[in-house]
Amino acid sequence: MFFNSIAFAIFLPIVFFLYWFVFNKTKRTQNALLIIASYYFYSCWDWRFLFLLVFSTFLDYYTGIQIEKGKSEKSRKFWFWLSILVNLGFLGIFKYYNFFAASFADLLNSVGVQASPILLNVILPVGISFYTFHGLSYVIDIYFKRIKAEYNFVDYSLFVSYFPLLVAGPIERATHLLPEIKVKREFDLEKAKEGIYQIVWGLVKKVIIADTCATYANAIFDHYTSMNSFSLILGAIYFAFQIYGDFSGYSDIALGVSKLFGLDLLRNFNYPYFSRDIAEFWRRWHISLSSWFRDYLYIPLGGSKGGIWMKIRNTFIIFVVSGFWHGANWTYLAWGFINAVYFLPLLLSNSNRNNMDAIVLKFDFNSAKVVMSIFYTFFLTCVAWVFFRAKTISDAFLYLKRVITNHDFSFQYLDNERYSYELLVMIGVFVLIEWNNRNKIEPLSGKRSLLKLSLAILAIMAFGTFSDYKEFIYFQF
Amino acid sequence: MKNFLIYTAKILVITILTAIVLDALYTYVFLQSANRGKIETVFNSKAQKLDVVILGSSRANNHFVSQMFEDKGLKTFNYGMSGGHLFEASLMLKLMIERKYEIKNVIVEADLNLSNDHEAEGIAAKFLPYIHNSTVIKNHFSSQENFNEFYYIPFYRYIKYDSKIGFRETFFTLVHKKTNALDNLGYYPLEKHKNGNMKNNIAKLKPLKHNKYYEEIKNLCKANHINLIAIMTPMCENVVGMNYFDKVKKAYPEIYNYENVVIENKYFASCGHMTDEGARMFTARIIKDFFKK
Repeated sequence: MFFNSIAFAIFLPIVFFLYWFVFNKTKRTQNALLIIASYYFYSCWDWRFLFLLVFSTFLDYYTGIQIEKGKSEKSRKFWFWLSILVNLGFLGIFKYYNFFAASFADLLNSVGVQASPILLNVILPVGISFYTFHGLSYVIDIYFKRIKAEYNFVDYSLFVSYFPLLVAGPIERATHLLPEIKVKREFDLEKAKEGIYQIVWGLVKKVIIADTCATYANAIFDHYTSMNSFSLILGAIYFAFQIYGDFSGYSDIALGVSKLFGLDLLRNFNYPYFSRDIAEFWRRWHISLSSWFRDYLYIPLGGSKGGIWMKIRNTFIIFVVSGFWHGANWTYLAWGFINAVYFLPLLLSNSNRNNMDAIVLKFDFNSAKVVMSIFYTFFLTCVAWVFFRAKTISDAFLYLKRVITNHDFSFQYLDNERYSYELLVMIGVFVLIEWNNRNKIEPLSGKRSLLKLSLAILAIMAFGTFSDYKEFIYFQF
Repeated sequence: MKNFLIYTAKILVITILTAIVLDALYTYVFLQSANRGKIETVFNSKAQKLDVVILGSSRANNHFVSQMFEDKGLKTFNYGMSGGHLFEASLMLKLMIERKYEIKNVIVEADLNLSNDHEAEGIAAKFLPYIHNSTVIKNHFSSQENFNEFYYIPFYRYIKYDSKIGFRETFFTLVHKKTNALDNLGYYPLEKHKNGNMKNNIAKLKPLKHNKYYEEIKNLCKANHINLIAIMTPMCENVVGMNYFDKVKKAYPEIYNYENVVIENKYFASCGHMTDEGARMFTARIIKDFFKK
């Protein structure tokens, strides 16, 4: 059940109606309904993995309590590591086992030892990377006594499996979401309206930007050996907007849907392509994952407090692990590594927190420098996206090599029966709208909101891509 | 909550009104279309006389050289459509009859396309803008699974097939941007290219014993006194399951088997599609056999 499907358009109003009109008596009934709705929502993907979700929920709930109750440090440690190992074990088996087995066999074969890996015939449970990280953050926070364990199983279950964030985040924190779940929600008209704006803007990003860019990006990446320099450059730009529209669109819809139920989720994107350097980009892109790795990996490793080699080591660890979180493929590792290379000079020169302020442009030299730095950061990001999108690392290198060596900048007719340049106007308009509204969560709220909402609906219907339907990219992670 | 429900009701009304307005606008534009494609051209045309009408898939579109018929004094147009099935061929003929075309001969390519009687979505979509403006189109689609959605939900058909009749196509229709679909009297010549797929496996293909739309074409021709010439057209040398054409002959004895008129690979751009040179050899043979004066 995708957020942009007819099934969800039926599911959401039903749950909304039951939530505010039938199950609105107490916080307990509200949470119970959301749990049922969430489990139904998840079982629409594959009901078999519902057991995995319930098991994972129960494991973290129980170990959380045992850690808190543990009288000795040994006991606390036991339950803590049990939860960590089982959680990561599931993730490892479902997501990474085949990759490691195949890579190990390749390594043995390359040194002359014949090996054929035993591969598992399993599919990746939807959302496993997201709900595992929910659970991990909860258990880690209890172990380090940042939060108290949750004794109400329904409340805890809702924290893990709340349907707007279940399959592709944002990755919530117990410190943020649990307190909201613990109180009865009262209907708030303004919040609900904000939710509608965010849902509609999320659909604009997904249906108009991401899915349309996808048809062009696929046509270019899948036939990159016959593409010229201009098409290849456009391919990287189109993919940059595809993945941004897709994932931030999903996040907007998730946040908007949640607001309809009176629950605020963590913001996941903050106009990342207007970043002035890579450090700022990572403060604006997939914020809930970046901050998760910062808090639960980078800081425990020592962060940037140690010597120069420790800083370098920690930077590479966090980016490479972040890349690997996306999927079991060398291309994701390469993408993480490249971002670490981008980030390192900023860290070593202590300029990684230079651009913390809002962007204000005037007609002066400094503003010109800011614009140039935004374009430069976008260029670096696009180069890294080539590795993320390519099937193999060598494909990515050949793609980039062809950009430089082909020297042909004419318009090409693509496999999707369109000319390569056709999307540029649409992307330009989208960037302008986002730029003008970069200080807001989405562009539809504020003055004349109903008119803007109507135009957005019209745009979705008229300019959206529906026939070449694409799943949300981050569902596979 | 009451205010919110009113607000969502407003959004719902806006959405429905937007869909109605867009539907009317897009349909209006398609009703003016004249130079984009064969379907639009026939729909927006008036009665005309044709000696030969060619129908079928790309294997008709690329194989019958209209100009060669014209050179023999036969007013001809090739309405073969790449990717099309007999569902669309039948509807095309119905539309022509609705437009009061006077047709003497219909040549229908009937071979591989006899193996199914469902619509080719990409081609059938091009009829959908006119679903409210033509009884023939409405009736033809009425037995289709999603007819109700197409007919009753405003703008649904334009959303469902946005790559065929969406904004881009509507815009190009509005500015009268020409395509090459109507060039060469509808015939599309192919060139030999080195990467053409010269293998084909049709062993699993079976002709339907009673292809609904082929039968429709037969009945339409009979009812309107049109001479129907159903023809199997050539394929390259490397086809697995060539006995398919014998099965067609067995199921439909009236279909002429011209599959083996052109054999050598050098006359094919891909296994199922002849080059211009092959098409000319084939057309010459058809003219000789059926239009000798």
